[in-house]
Amino acid sequence: MQTKQIAFDMTVNGNGIMISAQDLVKIYSNKVKAVDKISFEVREGEVFGFLGPNGAGKTTTIKMLTTLASITEGRASVAGYDVRSHPSSVRQSIGVVPQELTADEELKGIENLILSARLHHVPSDVARNRAGDLLRLVDLEGAADRRVKTYSGGMRRRLQMAMGLLHTPKILFMDEPTLGLDIQTRSKMWEYIRKLNRENDLTVFMTTHYLEEADSLCDRVAIIDEGTIKVSGHPGELKEKLGGDILTIEVSSGLDLTSFFQGIQDVSDVSKKDSTYRITLPRTEKALPAIVQGLSQKGIQISNISFTKPTLDQVFLKITGRSMRDEESPAAPPAWIQSA
Amino acid sequence: MAPFGDTIALTGRALRKYFRNPSAIVPGLATAIFYLALFGNSFNPQNLIPSSSSSGGSALQAFGGAPTYITYLTAGVICLILVFNMAFGGIDLVLDRQLGFLNTLLSAPITRASIYFSGVLQNLVKAMILAFLAFGVAFVIPNGLKLPAGFGILNFVGIFAAFALLGIGLSCVFTALALTLRSIDSLVAIVNFVTLPLVFASGALFPSSSFPGWLKEIADVNPITKASEAARLLIVNGTLTGSNFWTFANDLVYLVVFAVVLALLGYMAARNALKAE
Repeated sequence: MQTKQIAFDMTVNGNGIMISAQDLVKIYSNKVKAVDKISFEVREGEVFGFLGPNGAGKTTTIKMLTTLASITEGRASVAGYDVRSHPSSVRQSIGVVPQELTADEELKGIENLILSARLHHVPSDVARNRAGDLLRLVDLEGAADRRVKTYSGGMRRRLQMAMGLLHTPKILFMDEPTLGLDIQTRSKMWEYIRKLNRENDLTVFMTTHYLEEADSLCDRVAIIDEGTIKVSGHPGELKEKLGGDILTIEVSSGLDLTSFFQGIQDVSDVSKKDSTYRITLPRTEKALPAIVQGLSQKGIQISNISFTKPTLDQVFLKITGRSMRDEESPAAPPAWIQSA
Repeated sequence: MAPFGDTIALTGRALRKYFRNPSAIVPGLATAIFYLALFGNSFNPQNLIPSSSSSGGSALQAFGGAPTYITYLTAGVICLILVFNMAFGGIDLVLDRQLGFLNTLLSAPITRASIYFSGVLQNLVKAMILAFLAFGVAFVIPNGLKLPAGFGILNFVGIFAAFALLGIGLSCVFTALALTLRSIDSLVAIVNFVTLPLVFASGALFPSSSFPGWLKEIADVNPITKASEAARLLIVNGTLTGSNFWTFANDLVYLVVFAVVLALLGYMAARNALKAE
């Protein structure tokens, strides 16, 4: 094996960049361009989220990075290895949790883990120890000796995650890790992912079409739509770009207060509809007291006031001009989850 | 070393699944019983052709000296079971692709060859188990398989060597096919189109000497004819001597070449099918 040598030759590893994609293009044999010149970098220890509607190119990107799909154009390196020229070194460095549940139903939980370990050439005594640790981590200790067909959807997802981690990969790829799970199970999954990321310094690359998932879990997200990355950054930064929080005030007064609101410091945008005003506030905590005080000095009564924090949904709406919710058909969980 | 271990690990997974679900063996066993007990009796030439002599021996003249039709038929039915099981064994592999299991293998650091060879091996083991069971069925049914005096363990080994060689060749073809196809429907269509003609155009069920010329020519190069002929020689005669031995040796060499060539062709096809999409 020359893997060691290759690692030294390619110093990408040194600067803490775990995944680098440069102008990646994927055109399938049926001429469909699934990914169109995307570039991004994922740093060591980061949870990086690929956010986009179904069919945006998320899974194709994961497939290219995990050596399952060939790269039509561009370059990608994973864990310091060029994906095109050193696919087997890449495979050795990554764990993959696919969208489909691939754990074998007829086998026990522990047997699935051991099989996964053998396929990554982990010595069997090491594999048994690690399997025990991982089962504890994902709360499946009690179910280890049960056949997977008796597991619930959430348990299968957790087992799948453990299967991707037995060989202690540097990077974990997760394609829609919470697809088809109910909201409680989903937040439990987020907890596991955070714990893994924190305790094992694991770099995580995940795709999702759940905005709240990207928001709560990811250090950085890239919003991908129609095969291109529209914007990327920290979820907070992206939301800040919207200009801040939205304050909606309804007053019981016929006066036009637009110029009054505009005159208040830290108000960036005001729009009026009847007696309701939509005010954009970059720094709510400063502007809000001034607005309320100003109105009461004028003797104007507020009949309704509400206030929304910007969401990634609004970011998506602003960037693509349509809501992600409209795009997504209710995600049908695979048949074997429904029957479980 | 590692490719070998990968192949064993993957084969072990498939067989563990197989043995946990013993009902999987039922259709194969049913085929054996139907063909031996029903076909073996209803198509028995001793019954079909009313013979002047009360012994009925003349009706089996072309059947290589087999004492009963089922004795003749056993080797052929086992070949038929091998063909069917290799062919439909591919369904598990297509399912592995459809359910995403194949992708987890392809993103793991194992050789592509181990995926192919584990497919070949798992189907071979499953089908050979049924072959053993079918042999037992032929033995226990009334008016069934009659082994000659002095039939020994080496004869038995020789019989199953012939079956195994045919099995390897067939397993390679159908494993490569299953790895190439994306849907079970197309696999089943091809299998239905291929398996029965392959069996009928062979000496598995009736001696090819009675076939019309064009069909005999096909049957004589059909590996199913060779395997059933080789196995039958041992079943009917026990230890072989003279020209019988050379026919057997010739059949076995033919089957070795068949197995090796198809293993290589299958490997090339499988490697192509397992390339990144």
